Amino acid sequence: MITAIAFYLLAAVSVASAFMVIASRNPVHSVMFLILTFFSAAGLFILMGAEFLALLLIMVYVGAVAVLFLFVVMMLEVDFVALKQGFLQYIGLGATVAVVLLTELILVGAAYFAGDGNTATPPNPDESNLEAFGHVLYTDYAFFFEASGFILLVAMIGAIVLTLRERDGVRKQDISKQIARTREDAVEMVDLKSGEGIGS
Amino acid sequence: MANVINFILPFLPELLLAFFASQLLVFGVVKKERTDLVRWIAIGLLVVFALAGLFVGVPGTTAFNGALINDDFSYIAKAIIGLAAAAALLFSESYLKSERLDQYEFSVLVLYAVLGMSIMVSSNSLLSLYIGIEMQSLALYVLAAFNRDSLRASEAGLKYFVLGALSSGLLLYGISMVYGFTGSLTFDTIGAVVSSGDVSPGVIAGMVFMLCGLGFKISAAPFHMWTPDVYEGSPTPVTGFFASAPKFAAMALIARVLMDPFMGIQDSWQQVIIVLSVASMIVGVFGALMQTNIKRLMAYSSIANMGYALVALSAGTVAGVNGMLIFMSIYLITSIGLFACILQMRIRDGMVEQISDVAGLSTTQPRLALMFTVLLFSLMGMPPLLGFFGKISAFYPAIDAGLTWLVVVALIASVVGAFYYLRIIKTIWFEEQDRQFVKPATALSVLSGVSTLILVAVLFLPFISAPVKTAFGAAAASLF
Amino acid sequence: MSGFLLEYLPILIVFGIATVLSLLFLVAAKIMAPASGDVEKLSTYECGFNAFDDSRMKFDVQFYLVAILFIIFDLEIAFLFPYAVSLDKVGIYGWAVVMIFLSELIWGLYYAWKKGALDWQ
Repeated sequence: MITAIAFYLLAAVSVASAFMVIASRNPVHSVMFLILTFFSAAGLFILMGAEFLALLLIMVYVGAVAVLFLFVVMMLEVDFVALKQGFLQYIGLGATVAVVLLTELILVGAAYFAGDGNTATPPNPDESNLEAFGHVLYTDYAFFFEASGFILLVAMIGAIVLTLRERDGVRKQDISKQIARTREDAVEMVDLKSGEGIGS
Repeated sequence: MANVINFILPFLPELLLAFFASQLLVFGVVKKERTDLVRWIAIGLLVVFALAGLFVGVPGTTAFNGALINDDFSYIAKAIIGLAAAAALLFSESYLKSERLDQYEFSVLVLYAVLGMSIMVSSNSLLSLYIGIEMQSLALYVLAAFNRDSLRASEAGLKYFVLGALSSGLLLYGISMVYGFTGSLTFDTIGAVVSSGDVSPGVIAGMVFMLCGLGFKISAAPFHMWTPDVYEGSPTPVTGFFASAPKFAAMALIARVLMDPFMGIQDSWQQVIIVLSVASMIVGVFGALMQTNIKRLMAYSSIANMGYALVALSAGTVAGVNGMLIFMSIYLITSIGLFACILQMRIRDGMVEQISDVAGLSTTQPRLALMFTVLLFSLMGMPPLLGFFGKISAFYPAIDAGLTWLVVVALIASVVGAFYYLRIIKTIWFEEQDRQFVKPATALSVLSGVSTLILVAVLFLPFISAPVKTAFGAAAASLF
Repeated sequence: MSGFLLEYLPILIVFGIATVLSLLFLVAAKIMAPASGDVEKLSTYECGFNAFDDSRMKFDVQFYLVAILFIIFDLEIAFLFPYAVSLDKVGIYGWAVVMIFLSELIWGLYYAWKKGALDWQ
């Protein structure tokens, strides 16, 4: 009973906030509603018992991707009001695509339920799915795990290659240079005779 | 210990490639100004990687719990991919230097792209297929935008990225449907479920979605929109790379996916492949007619050529896969040679890439003109050259499979396509000279010369062509 | 099922308290604070001029690089959560796999560091 209420509440919030993402005038509000959508989706995952996915959604999407979205919204300096002027022009096309997608999803769901409808059963229902995930991720699926590491590495190289540029005239602190400095090249001892100064 | 060695050995080339790519990454950042050294090490690595499988490989082994499979097909594919990538690195040098883009990360990214492609061609499960594609594409997106100060290159990179992400989404959607309806990720199990007869429509829908996603990667129409812009905007050596190794990898992946897990629903995928093939041929040849930029022309030409390769695949037989392999290898040789020629189109102020710029090449640089002509004739499918035999081996299997009308369409497309190749040749030989190209780098002349020689001479040297033919036949047979 | 969901009851209570408290502050401010805004009072004030510009401005691309690097390491951490709870089951093999994964990204970190991507210019 409570589960049902929670489900309808979360589902309603996620659909409504997803709508607000595209409907709100201010792009920053759009991003905020996007975060709310992710959040309620995470709640739905928890209702299904997929707490690891919920955790990932909160950590990766709410924590990182949404922040990046905010950055982009701020950084692009796009006039979003002007961008949204043509919104109604595309509503027909958008609606068509949405209807096609919805039909496909319903067809697939119908085909699934019309079939034998067998669902996967967890091998060990006692353990949480975080543990179940860990047992296979580092053993059976080790290759995919390592390969994803390489994908992350390539992403890192790409981000650095495309955005990092050397700037001229920047005074950077070079710690190793500071430490390597010795008394000999920093201090000069001069014997002064009185009344003559250091004139060279 | 022996256990571990047996576990690692089948994929030693990949592991070494991954290991040394990471080493090169760090080596390059520690020793600045050693870009050339990094490039040559990378070329050496790629050549070793390409040949390693052919000579020390153990066909028929799987590794990592069936994630990857080694067979003759994957060895041949890796050899071709490795050599094509090495050639791309070789012809990138002079361009990158003259455009002040010479960063060592270029070579490292090419290595990672090749790593992704080798995972693609030897994937034995839907997950490794996806991971391979992602690793490859991520490196390619960066390469496309490598000239980050150029507006066109950034646009090319962005377009490629957005559409590539869309295609990955389609692919993933298809994969999840196939997984949901067959209950497995490995090709063997999917193949068993599919060929057991009672196939649910969900599997077919998933298969179609997967083909759409893969169609993006080989730029088959109607998923070709990104190709002309990306080809035109990217740095020319990157375009040359795009036209060779990634196309082959994606085509080999399609062949494996169709012939291995989905062999049981051949009737369904055959229609999709035929639609993709006809659309690509039409879009390719008619789109190319209007082009004035030689890189855009090559983009449309590659779309049309993917259509021809799909004609071979649509037969769904050993001979079809064999024909696809032969056709694609010849196409790769030709396009590497052509891009080596295009890279030689450099005047004192920089690169030129209009078709009108090659006017009068026959008087100023007869050798370049000759190579251009031979390569274009081969791409057209002129009889004595290798390209003709590529097309024959691509079209015959389709006739044997009863798809005569498809072959007729392909022949008409070839004839129309001959028009724009002939237009370039006419510009080279019969128009007034207006450009004086600077002396090309040695690597470029060597590359274009070698590929021209291969196209002309291999037929007359049966001791070269016969073993290659046998190897391709074995590779195609190993998929079934 | 509900036993499993019961574990999330504290989180729900925290949410409830947070919502009530924040609403309380908003409502309290609305009721108690004096407010008589008009158009001029509410408009952006820029030293006596009309506002020159939108409040959105171009950020330096460096922020973007930092954000991307953050996402990459965030994802890396996400991959390591299951390791924390299954350490006893996956044994030395799992340990080796995780160490290889970490070394890949440490290599990347070293590259980023040496390249100067972590320095603020």
